[in-house]
Amino acid sequence: MNKRGSADLLSIDQNNSKNASSDSLNSDSKSSSLNSKIGQELNLSGNESGPLLLNGERVQGVARDVTYLCPYSGPARGVLTFTNYKLHFRSIDRETPYVVEMPLGAVSRIEKVGGASSRGENSYGIEIFCKDMRNLRFAHKQENHSRRNPLFAFQYSETFSENGWNVYEPIAELKRMGINNDMWKISKINDTYSVCDSYPAVWAVPTAATDEDLQASAAFRSRGRLPVLSWIHPESQATITRCAQPLVGVGGKRSREDERYVQYIMDANAQSHKLFIMDARPMANAVANKAKGGGYEAEDAYQNSEVVFLDIHNIHVMRESLRKLKELCFPTIDETRWLSGLESTMWLKHIKCIVAGAVKIVDKVETHKTSVLVHCSDGWDRTAQLTALAMLLLDPYYRTIKGFEVLIEKEWLSFGHKFQQRIGHGDEHHSDADRSPVFVQFIDCVWQVTQQFPNAFQFNEHFLTTILDHLYSCRFGTFLCSSERERVQERLKEKTVSLWSYINSQLPLYQNPLYWDGPTHQLVLMPIASMRYIKPWKSFYCRWNPSMRQQDPVYQRTRELLVQKEQLKKKAEECRREQAVRTNARSMNSAGQAAPRLHSPVHS
Amino acid sequence: MFEPVSESKQGISGLLAITNFKLTFVTAEENVDDIHQQNHLLGYTDICLSNVDNIYLIGDKKRKLTTGVSVPSKVKGIFIVCKNLRTWSFSFKFSDIGDGRNILNALLHHAFPTKHYLLFAYEYSLSEYIIVPASVTDDQLTKAAWHFQGSRPPIWSWSNDSGAALVKMAELSISIPDRTQENIMLENIRKNHPKKIQPVIIELNKDISIKSVSYSFTKLVELCSPDSIRQFIHQENNFYSLLENTKWLKHVSLCLRKSVEACEELNDGVPVILQGINHKCLLISVIGNFLIYISFKIAEGSGRDFCCIISSLVQLLLDPHFRTIVGFQSLIQKEWVAAGHPFCDRLGHLKNDGSEKAPLFLLYLDCVWQLCQQFPAYFEFTETYLTTLWDSTHVSIFETFIFNSERDRVKAASDPTNQLVLRSVWDWREQFSDHDIQLFYNPLYAPALADSKLHQIKPNHGISNLEIWSQCYFRWIPHLIINNGGKNQIEMYARLLQNDLAQLKIDANEATVTSSNIDQLSTCLLQMNINSFYPFSNKSSGNNVSTPIMNASFIMNESMIDSQSLLTTTD
Repeated sequence: MNKRGSADLLSIDQNNSKNASSDSLNSDSKSSSLNSKIGQELNLSGNESGPLLLNGERVQGVARDVTYLCPYSGPARGVLTFTNYKLHFRSIDRETPYVVEMPLGAVSRIEKVGGASSRGENSYGIEIFCKDMRNLRFAHKQENHSRRNPLFAFQYSETFSENGWNVYEPIAELKRMGINNDMWKISKINDTYSVCDSYPAVWAVPTAATDEDLQASAAFRSRGRLPVLSWIHPESQATITRCAQPLVGVGGKRSREDERYVQYIMDANAQSHKLFIMDARPMANAVANKAKGGGYEAEDAYQNSEVVFLDIHNIHVMRESLRKLKELCFPTIDETRWLSGLESTMWLKHIKCIVAGAVKIVDKVETHKTSVLVHCSDGWDRTAQLTALAMLLLDPYYRTIKGFEVLIEKEWLSFGHKFQQRIGHGDEHHSDADRSPVFVQFIDCVWQVTQQFPNAFQFNEHFLTTILDHLYSCRFGTFLCSSERERVQERLKEKTVSLWSYINSQLPLYQNPLYWDGPTHQLVLMPIASMRYIKPWKSFYCRWNPSMRQQDPVYQRTRELLVQKEQLKKKAEECRREQAVRTNARSMNSAGQAAPRLHSPVHS
Repeated sequence: MFEPVSESKQGISGLLAITNFKLTFVTAEENVDDIHQQNHLLGYTDICLSNVDNIYLIGDKKRKLTTGVSVPSKVKGIFIVCKNLRTWSFSFKFSDIGDGRNILNALLHHAFPTKHYLLFAYEYSLSEYIIVPASVTDDQLTKAAWHFQGSRPPIWSWSNDSGAALVKMAELSISIPDRTQENIMLENIRKNHPKKIQPVIIELNKDISIKSVSYSFTKLVELCSPDSIRQFIHQENNFYSLLENTKWLKHVSLCLRKSVEACEELNDGVPVILQGINHKCLLISVIGNFLIYISFKIAEGSGRDFCCIISSLVQLLLDPHFRTIVGFQSLIQKEWVAAGHPFCDRLGHLKNDGSEKAPLFLLYLDCVWQLCQQFPAYFEFTETYLTTLWDSTHVSIFETFIFNSERDRVKAASDPTNQLVLRSVWDWREQFSDHDIQLFYNPLYAPALADSKLHQIKPNHGISNLEIWSQCYFRWIPHLIINNGGKNQIEMYARLLQNDLAQLKIDANEATVTSSNIDQLSTCLLQMNINSFYPFSNKSSGNNVSTPIMNASFIMNESMIDSQSLLTTTD
């Protein structure tokens, strides 16, 4: 931690604690957290004249005499405002105005409730089903439908002190890992995205491989997604590479070129003469894929390699699982069936499976110094989860705020996780089979690891929640489009603001006070993938429920101690100076005593 | 001897011996390292006999052994589950044929004694002075006293700022149908309230009883002491529903809820009576004008069980003094030991068919642990303290937790045939080094919170807000050790911070004396890699990766997984 004043630290503390209890999406507007109380969805953003607007945000429509049907505190009458970014409701019939805000990007679908013949109070209106684990119901008298304008990111014009688009430089990141080296080189064969349109422009591949080898391997891999480097161990040179499934098919096709190329990857690691191919899918799914032309590597074709199935289910299973979880968490929780209810959603079991898979990869790379090739079907969902999580466990750099941003940029964005389809930005087809919470699941896994290693991460929970909020909000360009190629085409870097600009301009909000770069911080993390430790991430999934909102007292208390330390440090310094002056004055007579040294094993 | 929760393929060989105090395993092998928390009385491979909960015979089938059951002449192996959930597997494969049987017979005989055969200490006595409401005359008191069991009249024990008092009373003797005396006492308590408010009655939930807690704990033990890796993985598959089935958290939740309700009424100035369903109500404590009644279907010993939990929880929520180590100790002495909680019956120190075993004290400690989780800066003690306290209830050398009542203790103490040894659990130095005792102190504790208006705490008591106490329940399962991780890391970090603070204070001339204890401890902690179960983990379990758990998925019950993944097409 740098030389921030104690006052700063305290104010951060306050901000954070308030954010925890108010709508986290509004954490940036300072006024929004005033007067917020625990257990109330209370938020004073804006005033009677309307909501606070972001730069580039414009009011699109206002509906008066609307009733918000809060599942916790009952109906509230007020004004509903639509902007090109968000929906804003402000009550008029309560002493302390009651405010609900939601970015339009988080809307999954809108349903009309009731018809022309509906009788009774609050029986006619709309229900908004959100992607962020809540539903909002509004009742109103007359028809009032505002079309949403999905991609606010293109209108958003805030400027930040940091430019988040510069966070990730592919070549710089490869250089950080020591590439080029003897065995690995940087290849720009995909400069124009002609070899693989869902891959980044810059790859690291084995030095031994020629461009023809790469072309040939791409031809044998689903969607041309051939094995390229994700991470290399700084000492053993064991690597994690990623790709899509081989196009084996029912006939059991082979590609000598692909086999040879995989051999290069194995050979690039002198420590081991074996390669583990981690197929993220359950074996049955991998076999079933043969019918569609896919499949997995036959061990006799790929010499010295061993295929391991990690049993992670596909996007449809995950979508269904999260739907059940939302049902369980929103709006209210049935305490008597909470634990078994959790189990029946299967969500935690899926999370456990992914963490277990990542630990397996880490074990091979770290303990056995063996390289690992990871794939699933297309190599952009489960593969990204596994490689990114394994890298997070292996490399402390990714556990810093900037490092984590790099990790997301690299393993998720540049390698073509289909954010557009998985999230459905600006897309009305809420039942689209391509939607799936794959990235949410990854962030959940990261959260699980932070729970087991509370000192190992520079970022806090608020950082993770903020990323997920803006995954949906469409305020920033970061999660728009599905591949690097599309982002270049759409000129997102010029036209939109990066989420990392926003985050990196207010870093203290996202810093973990427990982060400790002490002696163990360089270590590889080996989380325990047991259901006994995998927990529901309540502060994310249940955060709209006022009874579930908890402050994080450990963080607060640690912050207090850190503040005290800063103050004492200053004081000690003053004393030392004083003493030094006195000693100097006396040094005429006696030999000057050394001023007391600051003893501090912790560099926080 | 085998590693807990393993395949039982490789073990350590050694000598198994039994004394009238402990079962001890002596090995020549070097790998059996000591545990971090070094107990002066019991080594890492020692089991105090009163800690033994169940003994199973391992052979083709696991069979539970009880006293009186004849032991087969050939014993292949035994599996012991302790009351603190530690498990032991011993095999007699390489020993002489009769050995196993001999050990087992001795174990069965000594582990489940029927009398207090041990040497006891007597330390705390009934106070010679008691405090009662001012309006009560001595005559009334004496008259009333014999209506209460054990002739114990109401005794004042605690007051809050506004003068509201907590009064402890023994239960009304069941044989006396006349409620007059009780009513006189109630009237006096009512009169003592400045506003003369009549108490309000809250019915204590009927779904908690000694039996249900006992059953619940048995289930919890089952869940937390798997005898093999196979069982461990099997439990993984539906851990959450198994946990729900134990109903343990439900009981914790209930105790917390009742305590919170009592506190709320208290704050509102409404007197409270907690009452059971069958109107065999037993007056146990009065807080200000708030009477806590608890009754149970089982009359035996009631009023000294759940009342202990609720009244000591209420005081913990209301009075910051009890959240200090000294205060907590006095609270337990007052509300549990002096109040006559039948520790001997509930902890099953003696083999007695008439008594009901149920770890109510553990239930209470679990409630306290939940509070510590929700209010980490409000308690002077750590979870290590609570876990150690629980462990200490099974060390039969200490007299604190082995009697059913003060009366039994007095009786035992004055028994001329028995020699008396004065040993209290609270004298931690009997068991532990200064270093280990230092770990009882919570580095996040903020004493300042005690003075603030926030001195009352109000926990969330819903099951969804509770957690499983992993240090206490999981610490003997090696697969669950998180190396360099766990909540311990927070504690260690805070200790280092406090250490820095202390040092800086000296530098800033705010303090003159070095607090060397903290200093030593944190330097010591810094030097070793502490894991999630420190200080209860074995030192040797330093850096091994627990591989079995990673191969767990293939045994996963396929039918549990949605079949959807196979059916959907785009995969």
